[in-house]
Amino acid sequence: MSGSDNGAPKGMRFVDEFRDAGLGRVVAGEILAAVEPGRHYKLMEVCGGHTHSIYKYGVDDLLPDSVELVHGPGCPVCVIPMGRVDDAIALARNEEVIFTCFGDMMRVPGSEQSLLEAKAEGADVRMVYSPLDALRIAKTNPDRQVIFFAIGFETTAPSTALTLMRARTEGVTNFSCFCNHVTIVPPLRALLESPDLRLDGFIGPGHVSTVVGARPFEFIPKDYGKPVAVAGFEPLDLLQAVLMIIRQLADGRSEVENQYTRVVPYDGNPAALRVLSEVFELRPHFEWRGLGFISQSALKLSEAYADLDAELRFGVPGVRVADPKACQCGEVLKGVIKPWECKVFGTACTPEHAIGTCMVSPEGACAAYYNYGRFAREREVV
Amino acid sequence: MEDLSPQCDHQTGCITCGDEAIEMRVVSIDGDRGLALCATEAGERSTVETALVEPTVIGDLLLVHAGTAIAKPAPAGVVA
Repeated sequence: MSGSDNGAPKGMRFVDEFRDAGLGRVVAGEILAAVEPGRHYKLMEVCGGHTHSIYKYGVDDLLPDSVELVHGPGCPVCVIPMGRVDDAIALARNEEVIFTCFGDMMRVPGSEQSLLEAKAEGADVRMVYSPLDALRIAKTNPDRQVIFFAIGFETTAPSTALTLMRARTEGVTNFSCFCNHVTIVPPLRALLESPDLRLDGFIGPGHVSTVVGARPFEFIPKDYGKPVAVAGFEPLDLLQAVLMIIRQLADGRSEVENQYTRVVPYDGNPAALRVLSEVFELRPHFEWRGLGFISQSALKLSEAYADLDAELRFGVPGVRVADPKACQCGEVLKGVIKPWECKVFGTACTPEHAIGTCMVSPEGACAAYYNYGRFAREREVV
Repeated sequence: MEDLSPQCDHQTGCITCGDEAIEMRVVSIDGDRGLALCATEAGERSTVETALVEPTVIGDLLLVHAGTAIAKPAPAGVVA
């Protein structure tokens, strides 16, 4: 579709050069030349978006067998514990409430049902694409209470923050937020402290870093001696990041490199960091599916915005629910096992009937593997 | 039961809840409200918060996540 016939601007072929197959093969050749014979490399891509791109474009097929990519805890849907889904459903069942959330979150199973099932039973649950959409619903339904289910890493949190600031400025009093935003550094530190983990380097999350910058990842080389390359989401971005990490290892270096310089400033987006610090504060601890409670790893509304906190306005059960026993999302999120090594992968647990959260979201490692990784699995089994 | 697949399917990923963002071009600006009408290359339009990337002008390329512009991608070879 051209820009002239639909009003879209021209000149947006920004990503084409990062999908060039010829260039991809050149970088793959450089990776092959850089790997040390006999050495196995285990690299974690932190971000769910990276997992998705790797399978979508078959990036792992271009890598030597000795370079293994494992999937980290970077899908915000996958790390939500079941008790928080139950809390969301309790809020949604309130008859005066219109409960708004992103599409992925609707299918995540709670201990008894999902938000989608609660909707089928009569709860007013509506899917939105942005918190701004949720605020719009609040403005057009002044006699109802509208709650936005906020979820996501630092990429998404500024959007929630700006919407809460807008609600305040525009005097929208029937709007509130059920806040489940999480932060990326504490779970990475928890992973690095995990005794059953052996990783050689990290592909850092590109769009989280657009907000927080690459600097917050300096603790990984400094404290743990592992290289980091913050990467974009196109196939060439990921290949180049792998090459950066392999070269650091070959040179005996460990540092934070920024592959995604076209978007990520090393110190992040100062305006975004300002709104985050105004609207949010760190929770003392938060539960992550499969990783347990992690200190200061999530955000809640600051005192100045506490009146817009749905948890305070309505109250939630706050009951902790253990993960289903059959589900091994925890090991998958830590990269200890591959998705297909889980006992229920592809049998009892599929995208249509998910047991674990990693199978629910397209960003989740299990769903990505289920949809794109079957050939890779066959190759690994042989 | 409502089918969510067109919005959130396993082929295209989810632009809102993962760490994904899309590039959009500014078509018009509502300066008083800090919003801009933006369009993707395919011509899909939506209202975008621009407070984090100000100043913006018509024609700017923005990286948009969950309805908010989080960065202005730099031209190839230029560091953001």
